[in-house]
Amino acid sequence: MHSDFYQLLKEQGYQLGVPATAGSGVDIPTATTILAFKYRDGVLIAGDRRATAGNMVMYDRTDKVLEVDRHSVMAIAGVPATAYEMVRVLEHSFKYYRRTQLQELSFEGKLRALSKLLKENVPAALSGTGAVVPIFAGYDAEQETAKIYFYDILGAEFEGVEYAVSGSGSPTIRGIMHYVNTWGDQPLQAMSEEQAAVQALRLLTSAAEFDSATGGVNREANLYPIIKLITAAGVDTMPDVRLKSLFETKVARHV
Amino acid sequence: MYEEPYKWVEAVGNRRHYLDEQFKEGSPVVALAYDAGILLLTVSKGTPKLYEIYDRLALGGMGHPADLEKLRFSLLEMAHVEGFNRSPSDVTGSRMVKYGIAPILKQAFEEVFKAPFIVKLLMAELGAKAGKNSLLTINYDGTFEETSHCAVLAATQSVQETMLQFLRGQVPEGSSLDRTVAGALLAWAVGDRAQRRRETGQQDKHEKETTGSEDPAELAGYLRERVSDKTIECALLDRHERGSSKYRMLTVDELGRMLPPDLKAALS
Repeated sequence: MHSDFYQLLKEQGYQLGVPATAGSGVDIPTATTILAFKYRDGVLIAGDRRATAGNMVMYDRTDKVLEVDRHSVMAIAGVPATAYEMVRVLEHSFKYYRRTQLQELSFEGKLRALSKLLKENVPAALSGTGAVVPIFAGYDAEQETAKIYFYDILGAEFEGVEYAVSGSGSPTIRGIMHYVNTWGDQPLQAMSEEQAAVQALRLLTSAAEFDSATGGVNREANLYPIIKLITAAGVDTMPDVRLKSLFETKVARHV
Repeated sequence: MYEEPYKWVEAVGNRRHYLDEQFKEGSPVVALAYDAGILLLTVSKGTPKLYEIYDRLALGGMGHPADLEKLRFSLLEMAHVEGFNRSPSDVTGSRMVKYGIAPILKQAFEEVFKAPFIVKLLMAELGAKAGKNSLLTINYDGTFEETSHCAVLAATQSVQETMLQFLRGQVPEGSSLDRTVAGALLAWAVGDRAQRRRETGQQDKHEKETTGSEDPAELAGYLRERVSDKTIECALLDRHERGSSKYRMLTVDELGRMLPPDLKAALS
């Protein structure tokens, strides 16, 4: 009963990441800001659009919040080449499982699949050529709730009970999220879809203010962060036109 | 004993006869394009016979469940490895059939010392645009045919022709999903009834009914009798489905809402 696509790939000679010597002690760059938090209807997951190489801005339209299937999303911080490859492997793995076994892979099974990829990528991560520190969020059909998990580069998974952040801009917004969630008008989990989206735009704008590796909103270029909403109905991407309207009415006047 | 060519030809002929016998009681499969995609329909008892293969590929089958499973897994492996190594748009029904599954079936059929696959397959591929769909039927000996509007699997070539004639007369290209579901279900009834008549030697008496002029009330009555303890399987490759995977099964409720009152009454 073959249901493991990654195993199938490996049998054909596939290897994730670049073989490298572990433990050379190179700094692990995670130049980006990604975040996820629970709101009233599910989970909001968002990320900025900037890709950097050292102090160079390589690209300002990167999509770091990627739909893996109809009910799960992986937001990526770290080396894009490895992160995109992991998403491709997961995307095919989940589909392959569903199509061979005629049922969806459980949410727990999806978490383990990502953890396994991160573990196998440790040598590349430690050598500085392939570190990935993702956030994985999705709808758990068995427990009928949307959930958030974040990982370290070794593959350990942690549940973000209320929220999770990753990337170079995350120290800035982690404190803000704690403050808003604890002493704000209402906790993040009580926010409506619109309130949650405004919060995400403000958080990412704050991260861009203090972290040069995080891209902010560029209204002239009509460039907004990627924001996705995960509910029982599946994954939905918030359109730029709505982000533009929210930014102009609820965010821009404060910066 | 098969060293002599004519002995081998005789053995292959016997094998063809043996295989034809195996499909006599199989459930026909119907694939029909509609305005937003492709519908696959069959009636099954226990084991499903319609499957998702890839983002735009679906499979229907007749025959032995174990053989069907083996070939389904071969297709799934081929499609996913190819889609991962190249691109999902390189995974086409035509490539999967011509260079993947058809050679395997042909080889198994002609190796007379080994057991053949007892299967007939129907591969449906949703085109990027309406009118670009592909429907491939593959016989147990590896021969295949490609069409775009409708295709069927049934016990014999003659029953398949009967069903296709009915479909062409009843469901014009570009029909709505509702009309397509009803047409496909009636076509299944036409095929299943023709198979049963052939079984009981009544085919000559009813030969005139194979011209597309079937009585809908009579077919509804036949469906009531045949479908009561079985499941109507309906799968869609729907162009409007969100995300990359276009395959989904119709639920019992959806099916109930789509069928015309006379058929709904017959099946309730």
